[in-house]
Amino acid sequence: MWVVAVSSFLATLGFGILFNIKGLKLFLASIGGMIGALVYTICLNLQFHEGTSLFLASVAFSLYSEILARLCHTPVTTFIICALIPLVPGNGMYQTMRLAIEGNAENALQMGLDTLTYAGALALGIIFMSTIMRYLTKRYGRKIKSFSSSM
Amino acid sequence: MDEILNVALFAGKILLESGAEAYRAEETVIKICEALGVEEAQSYVTMTGIMLSITHQSKSYTRISRISNRGVDLSKIDAINALSRNITKEHLSIQDVHDQLCKIDQEPRYSYGMTLFFSALSAFGFALFFHGTLQDAICAFVIGLIIKFVTIGMERNDINAFFNHAISAGAAALLALILHAFHRMDSFDTVIISSIMLLVPGLAITNAIRDTVAGDYLAGLARGAEAFLTAIAIAVGIGAVLSIWIQMNGGI
Repeated sequence: MWVVAVSSFLATLGFGILFNIKGLKLFLASIGGMIGALVYTICLNLQFHEGTSLFLASVAFSLYSEILARLCHTPVTTFIICALIPLVPGNGMYQTMRLAIEGNAENALQMGLDTLTYAGALALGIIFMSTIMRYLTKRYGRKIKSFSSSM
Repeated sequence: MDEILNVALFAGKILLESGAEAYRAEETVIKICEALGVEEAQSYVTMTGIMLSITHQSKSYTRISRISNRGVDLSKIDAINALSRNITKEHLSIQDVHDQLCKIDQEPRYSYGMTLFFSALSAFGFALFFHGTLQDAICAFVIGLIIKFVTIGMERNDINAFFNHAISAGAAALLALILHAFHRMDSFDTVIISSIMLLVPGLAITNAIRDTVAGDYLAGLARGAEAFLTAIAIAVGIGAVLSIWIQMNGGI
């Protein structure tokens, strides 16, 4: 578990630098990546399906990002883009390609569809959370604003 | 009026060039116009251009700005976001806004060496995250360094993104194969996957989702296509190198 935490933190940190995030936000964004990766690993250990784990992980890091974005007065994307990266199904993409060049079209197709599903699960998590937060800020926007300015 | 158009378009241009969502660029441009005292402002933003039209004292003014190069710079987006909020709060004049925008535009990035090092560190992290050994992680570190070197080099020479990603991924695959041939790694797959994670279109995926949710289907589809094409480019790059290698050596 420690390896997952540290490695995903490093991976996200590198991307934060690539995307030119500065100061405290860089650190917070890296924590976001760590949260996503941890939730994903824990869900997998609990024998959840890959897609479900990805969905829950993306809900977790989106929630974290949406809350932080409101506290720091910064666009949500600053955090979400970085936190998303460790969970992108790069493995599935690679295996699909590998099967395809081995001439194993049937399995490649299967793998490709799975990969698309996982990407969809990730997207769904982000959509889900951002819709809820949009609704909440619209409804309780003033309260949240006064709360965050008193922080 | 011309100055307001200028300033607002300049802000929109920086936003799009730094990888902001289209709906954010639209909202910010309108917000800036209204904060500077325009009666009515309408804007239409796609990934490749901004159209802005403002009406003041029943006269209309319009201008179009074309966006040609797109990079990623999240701190610029953050800065402009803060600026657009401050205009009404601090009663900034057009000149102030223009000066601040120029300052934001000139803001330096992390240095070249630092970008290279942290990309490599990122690949190192990915290798451990994908259950690789330390040996794998060190290989991924080296390959990550080379990938970023190739990518940035090609970006500076204005090579298009598809080709850029394909060549970078191909270079990564070739290097991984060579290292593998000298028995420098435990799991070939892990090393390749963690180093190509550096090319993954995280920004395009996120923006595609967010623009679609915001109802801006055109920008959402364009970003989605960008993400998809990047994935294809990576696959083509690695696939080409791998299949040539297998042809020549009869296996990996």
